[in-house]
This record gives sequence, structure tokens and C-alpha cells, in this order.
Amino acid sequence: MSQNMREGSITSDRIKVTTRHGNSFKDKLYLPAIYDGVKVTFKHLFKNLNNINEIDTMRYPEEQPQDISSRYRGLHRLTHRADDSIACVACFMCSTACPAKCIFIEATTREDGKDEKMPASFFIDTLECVFCGYCVEACPCDAIRMDTGIFALTGNKREDFVMNKEQLLSYKGAFGEECSCARD
Amino acid sequence: MTTAAIIIAVAAFALGALLALLTIPILVWLERRVAGLVQDRLGPNRTNIGGFRLGGVVQSFADVVKLLLKEEYYPSHIKNARWLFMLAPIITFVAALLAFMAIPFADTLVINGESLRISPLPIDFGVFWYMAISSIGVLGVIFGGWLSHNKYSLLGAARAGSMVVSYELPLGLSILAFIITYNTIDFNAMVQWQSGTFFGFLPSWGILVQPLASIILIVALFAETNRNPFTVAEGESEIVAGFMTEYTAMKFAMYFMGEYVAMNTASAVIITMVFGGYQIPWVSTQILLENFSVFALLLMILIPIIVMVLIRWMRKNNTVRPSVSTDGGRNFETKVLTFTLVGMTLFIEAILFYLVFLDENFLANALAVTLFQIVVFVVKLMLFNIFFILIRWTVPRFRYDQVQKIGWYYLLPLALANIILTAIVVIGVSL
Repeated sequence: MSQNMREGSITSDRIKVTTRHGNSFKDKLYLPAIYDGVKVTFKHLFKNLNNINEIDTMRYPEEQPQDISSRYRGLHRLTHRADDSIACVACFMCSTACPAKCIFIEATTREDGKDEKMPASFFIDTLECVFCGYCVEACPCDAIRMDTGIFALTGNKREDFVMNKEQLLSYKGAFGEECSCARD
Repeated sequence: MTTAAIIIAVAAFALGALLALLTIPILVWLERRVAGLVQDRLGPNRTNIGGFRLGGVVQSFADVVKLLLKEEYYPSHIKNARWLFMLAPIITFVAALLAFMAIPFADTLVINGESLRISPLPIDFGVFWYMAISSIGVLGVIFGGWLSHNKYSLLGAARAGSMVVSYELPLGLSILAFIITYNTIDFNAMVQWQSGTFFGFLPSWGILVQPLASIILIVALFAETNRNPFTVAEGESEIVAGFMTEYTAMKFAMYFMGEYVAMNTASAVIITMVFGGYQIPWVSTQILLENFSVFALLLMILIPIIVMVLIRWMRKNNTVRPSVSTDGGRNFETKVLTFTLVGMTLFIEAILFYLVFLDENFLANALAVTLFQIVVFVVKLMLFNIFFILIRWTVPRFRYDQVQKIGWYYLLPLALANIILTAIVVIGVSL
């Protein structure tokens, strides 16, 4: 009662009094409740025994998920510009924003005259990564994206999961947008 | 001892060992599969040997291999008393296994005037044997918990001990009510008593003659076997794994298997005392033997129908969805299993045909009835095991104090009152 009265504006006729359950003889006997419960579980058991392919479980390796949208945060990739050169300018925004501290960039001078800087090496440790997408948000050049649609990364040793620049550049976007949208 | 007696004894022992041990992997698989189906999941269904999955039961054998290959870990304070540490799970396992051995799988077989019990242990004090041996199992739990020198283990062991104190009483008292009713402590005689009728039409099964004692017996056995809703000794949410916390690999598997054997034993006891054991309702062994040809003809009609339903179910469900490209050999498996089932049916039909029309051998008829009763027993056993599993996935756990309260405040007085009531009725009937 006092909890309801806390919001001063509630008038007394709007207070909802809930009855306490569990004090009747039937409830205390406990067996009718078990009977009701078993009825539910039995129903599910027989329904599923009767038609096992109706169960809404994805038979994973054979059936692949079809509901990965363009907003799904999959494995990262580094984008290209329209002229196929790397979009990243090694500004370290992503590695600064990264809460898992899993992006390791080494910058170098860019020789092709398109920008001042580019990454000499770009590593993402996907075992450390929490796939939060902050790096994508932070990037001013639209150079790092998570739109590859890759959701299951496998490898035989830990080193397999540390992505280098060449690997990250080689992934293609799964949802049509291929190049960096930041500049021309 | 005659040759027949020796053969029957060895066969019964082999059957008992098989029923107790071979049901472990099946029960473990069944638990996971039923849990999956109840929760609208699939459960383990992938493991196979050459494409044969048998619904995924192969998973249990893979699990055994996994447990065998696990690291053997001993707490550092165990030092060179490792055999003591290993003894604890063995006690639990062996006690559960031995308790199963007093259960009759079929009615007494009479060969040349000699009565032969179809039970691994041919004893006529089965109830006492069960009560005595099954209570030893908790010693292994207490032993292991104490030896682990771990607070969770010790707490689990203490809880297991207190559970036995509080639930052995209602269990014993409810069994006492059954002893008064049936006027015997022989499991087989109990089943024979239940093959009659009362009020003229109801089968005199324990659940109908002694409903209260039956419910107390079932609840107490759920508590005894540490199954949900009474998993206080290994409550994961409170004390990690209880007495099993320090146990790994096969030592853990021993406890784990012991639990399933205990569940199987509890099912067998409940069936034998409450659900008419190996009998089908209304029909006693005597009636089966006297009207053997009618019974055999009925079986000859029923078996193909059951097998047909089974095959149809298998052909419908041992498939993959149309969207899945490979079926992993399920089609082939279905074909082989269909062929096997049809072949077995034809074999049984041929034997029954021979028994009914060509041969008037009383011994062969008696053997056929015995086999039929064994099949009925196994079917009932598995059904009740599934009931155990369903209850686990239906009912939430009780708190520890609630468990004790149910045992002492409700079950014990009810069991006592029931004994007095039973005694009055039994004396009143006999006057």
C-alpha cells in the first residue's frame, strides 16, 4: 500500500490490491500445481516428438542465418577509396575509442600524394575485440567498417585471430557499399 | 540345482546387470533429449557412428570417452590415500547397483515343478534388501564430501546426510503401509497381489489401493535419489556441485552414473510396489498361461500395429528439413532400421505362430509369458524414468529449509497416519 501511495497524485480508488496466492489448501498441497506443470511440459514434448522438424532451431552448419542485416556488426574490414587505395589515414581515432584496446596501428608517411599518413601496419586482435562498433563510429574517413557479414571466425591457434592490414583490406562488404563514403 | 535353474539364474543376473548398466547411457541421453524437446530445442542429435545416430544416443558413449581421457586430478592433501578418494564414488555406485538386483523382472517361472525367480538376486526379502542397501549409498556421498576438504563439498555432504535422515523415515513408513497391505516383504509376492482386482473392476495396483502411501513413496524416492525438485546436496546455485566439487574424470563419472542407476532403481521400486510391476492391469500370470493362445493371437495382431506406427514415426521424423541439403545418412539409417524392425517382427510372429498352432509345449508358453513380462517391465521402467526426467524439467527447486519442512511437517505425519488407517482397515477387513 505505501509503495502505491508514494506517487502522491494516486487517489485511493485507483490503488490496486493484489491478492496473495499460495495460501489456499490447493496451493499448499502443491500436487495440483505439479500436475498443471507436467501438463505443459508433456504438451511440448509430444508436439515436438510428433514433428521434430517443426522445432524452430536452426540446424546451424547446414542452415546459415538469413537475417543478418546491414546494421549487423560482423568482422571488421578496412575500406578502399574509389581509386582502390587505402582509406585509412592512421589518425588513431579507432584505437583511442576502442574499449578493449585491441587495435594496434603503426603510422607511416604516405608516398602516393593523396594524404599525409597511412598505416604501415594495422592489427585487430579479434579475440580481445568486443564488437561494440565504437571504432566504426570514431573513424572520420569511413575507413573501418563492420559490414562484412562474417559472424563466425575460426582458427587453429590464437595467432590466427589477429587480423593484419592485408587481411582486413581483403574482406568485401556484404551489403553493397564497397568503397569508403567519406571522400571522393 | 538343475541345469534349468542355473541357466535361468545366469540369464536373470545378466539381464539385471544389463538393465542397470546399459540404461545409464540411455538415461543420460534421454535426459538431454527430453529436456530439449520440452524446451522446444533439439538436444544432442548429431553424434553418429558411420551415419547411425539412433536419435543421438551415441552421444553418451562419446561422453564416456571424453570422461576417460580427462585429467586425473586429486586435491593436494590427498597425498597417497588416493584409493580412499576413489572409494567414495564407488560406494555410491555399487550401492545403487546392488539395490536394483532384488527387483523381479517377471513372475516366478515353474520348470519341472521347480520355482525359479526371474530376479538377479533370488531372495524373498527384497524390500528389506532394498531399504538396507540403498541407504548405504549416501555413505559414499558423505565420505567423498568429507574427504574433499572443501567447504562446498562438506556442505553438500552434510545436506545429503540430513536428507537421508529426514526422508528415510517417510520412505520407510510408507513402505510399511505397503507391507501391511500386501502382507509380504517379497517384491514378487507384492506384484502378484497387485494382479488382482478390487471393487470388482479396478486393478489393485498400489496407487489405487494405497494412494497416500504411493505419493509419499514417490516423493521420498525423488528426494532419496537427489533428483529435482530436491537437489539440495548438489545445488549448483548455492554450493557449486556439492560433494562432487573436487571430483574429476572417471571419479566424477562414477558419482554421475551412480545417480542415474539410483534413479533407475527408484523407478523400478516404484513400479514394483505401486504400478503393478511386470503385470499389465487385470491380467495375472495365471490368466496369461491358461489363455495362452488368445493372448498370443492378440500379440500377433498388436505387435505389427505398434511396429507400423513406430516405422511411420521414424520415416516422418528421421529426416531433415527441405532447406537442408545433406541428410547425413538419415535416409540410409531409416531404411536399415525399418528392415531390422520388420525382420524382428516377422521373427516374433513366426515364433508365436509356432507356439499357438504347431506346438502344445507348456514350458515354451511359460517362457514366452516370462519374456513378455520382462518387456512390459522394461517399458514401464523407461516410462517412469521419463516421468522422473519430466518432473526435473517441470518443477523448480525447493529451498533447503522447504525440503526439510516438507519431510518433517507433512510427509512424516501423513505416513504415520496412513499406517494407522491401513492397520485399522486391514484388521477390519480380516475380522
